[in-house]
Amino acid sequence: MTLTIADYLVILLYFAFVIGVGFIIKKKIKTGNDFLISNRNIPLWITSLAFISANLGAQEVLGMVASGAKYGIQTVHFYWVGAIFAMVFLGVFMMPFYYGSRARSVPEYLALRFDEKTRGLNAISFAVMTVFSSGISLYALAKLLEVILKWDFDVSIWVAAGIVMIYTFLGGLTSAVYNEVLQFFLIVMGLSPLVIVALHDAGGWENIKAQLQPEMTHAWKYMGNADANPMGLHFMSLIFGLGFVMSFGYWCTDFLVVQRAMIAKNMNAAQRTPIIAALPKMLMPLIVVLPGLIAVTLMSPALQSKGYSIPLAEDGGRDFTMTLPSLIAHYYPSGLLGVGITALLASFMSGMAGNVTAFNTVFTYDIYQSYFIKNKSDKHYLYVGKAITVAGILFSIGTAYIAKSFNNINDFLQLVFSFVNGPLFATFLLGMFWKRTTGHGAFWGLLCGTIAAAITHGLTLAEGKGGWIAPMFEIKSGMGQAFIVASVSWTVNFFTTIFVSLLTKPKPDEELKGLVYSLTKKEPLANVKWYLNPVTLGIILLAVTIALNLYFF
Amino acid sequence: MLKRFNELNFVIGLFFLMVSLVLLGSTFFSKNLSGSINIYTGIAFLVFGLLMILIRQKNSSGQ
Repeated sequence: MTLTIADYLVILLYFAFVIGVGFIIKKKIKTGNDFLISNRNIPLWITSLAFISANLGAQEVLGMVASGAKYGIQTVHFYWVGAIFAMVFLGVFMMPFYYGSRARSVPEYLALRFDEKTRGLNAISFAVMTVFSSGISLYALAKLLEVILKWDFDVSIWVAAGIVMIYTFLGGLTSAVYNEVLQFFLIVMGLSPLVIVALHDAGGWENIKAQLQPEMTHAWKYMGNADANPMGLHFMSLIFGLGFVMSFGYWCTDFLVVQRAMIAKNMNAAQRTPIIAALPKMLMPLIVVLPGLIAVTLMSPALQSKGYSIPLAEDGGRDFTMTLPSLIAHYYPSGLLGVGITALLASFMSGMAGNVTAFNTVFTYDIYQSYFIKNKSDKHYLYVGKAITVAGILFSIGTAYIAKSFNNINDFLQLVFSFVNGPLFATFLLGMFWKRTTGHGAFWGLLCGTIAAAITHGLTLAEGKGGWIAPMFEIKSGMGQAFIVASVSWTVNFFTTIFVSLLTKPKPDEELKGLVYSLTKKEPLANVKWYLNPVTLGIILLAVTIALNLYFF
Repeated sequence: MLKRFNELNFVIGLFFLMVSLVLLGSTFFSKNLSGSINIYTGIAFLVFGLLMILIRQKNSSGQ
């Protein structure tokens, strides 16, 4: 793949605009709250698109196309089972507590609802996870650019991270959020022509269905038997593991995405942010799953003349991660090739900026201000926030180099993240909907849930991974193993929290107002127009999601 | 005019407008027939860019 002047021009334009946004926003940054939480004045359409874009990192885009090629249409479960329901639940039921409590972060909500030790546990694990995620994503991007464009690994890392540093340092969260919206449009519009042209080349959806095995084009039909579908999953483990534990754990508790809703102008906008974001999320498979299906169709005997194939990996198998870059190289001429590469760069940058801005808020407010330097001036926390932004990016760069030296560290870190994230939703679910839940219960529940996740992984073996205690149970796919680990950790957290809570003293009701469902005044929504009503919007979205699942059954 | 740079939709519109010019320009100068995808995408980006800019102008004049 060779770039021309037109391609470089598109890339340079993109760099100029994202940095320009940083300079424009810089003038509006006066306080620590402006920098770290955007002072809660961002319009709804921006928070909604930023909400979806913060999740649209390079690994998401490349990974879902790869998954589409490997597992077929069942990859849509990550959207139509593993996202929409949780996003609607967040908007309707959880945002009133996050936003109404005036907490500046998810860990701060935990401090208000439970206690400082629960906040500390969540804040530290979240801060470590975001900075390492950002570094791994940076490594993946530099590696990709090295392979497809022969760009120097070090230059790619420092240029990409440097640009994110400039605009997040200048404009903080607002700058990151504004650029996420630009990046969202760039990713969607930059990859849409590819889908249209490649789909046409593959003979349309009907021909894809004709060329591929039926289990590749049916979302649910073959899920009754784990051995009959490419993912190797039974529908029950999919629904509980992905659709409940992992999905709700991520979309409802991960500050990286929740932060985008928390900066909306008012409660109604905060509630509608994830719900409106669910609409593009629902349609995202067209951009990131369909290309994978098209790619495998183009390799079928009837379409050999198209001259496309997914590149081979070193072990001789297909390198599915390269599906999207290879499609871009195959279909995009000079000019549009630059747009495609810029879309990949944008997906990386939106992911990294999301991680860095969530990291600096949590570190500044939940670690630095809570445990080290309290009661300083707002200017002080503004400077700390800026310094932490730079430090976060430097840590990410360091992680990228560690990942380069120790390839297995990626898998290891992803594993540790799943141990921490898996049980988290149980803590929030009990905390928000059962007023008897105590701080001790939440803390020990989280801790035991995480340990249970590690033990389950140590006792199960899938695709050569896990089983480090004793490989007692064999699971067909790594994905199935991840769902089981998450489900066990969630269940252990849930029951440990209940058990310890019943043995310890709860907070008085007075202290829980606005933090627990039964003690919070509900705003009447009966007279609100349907498009302003989160419940109505949520029901419509759920109905459309169910219809999509049925159509592609 | 400079104030409009504070509006995100204007910035996004301007970005797509400029990218569309690069796409259309590269096709024009290369005279390469395989670049028809560049023309269609360039026109789509141009329309989207103008829309992003104009929608806001309408809103602004209405305020």
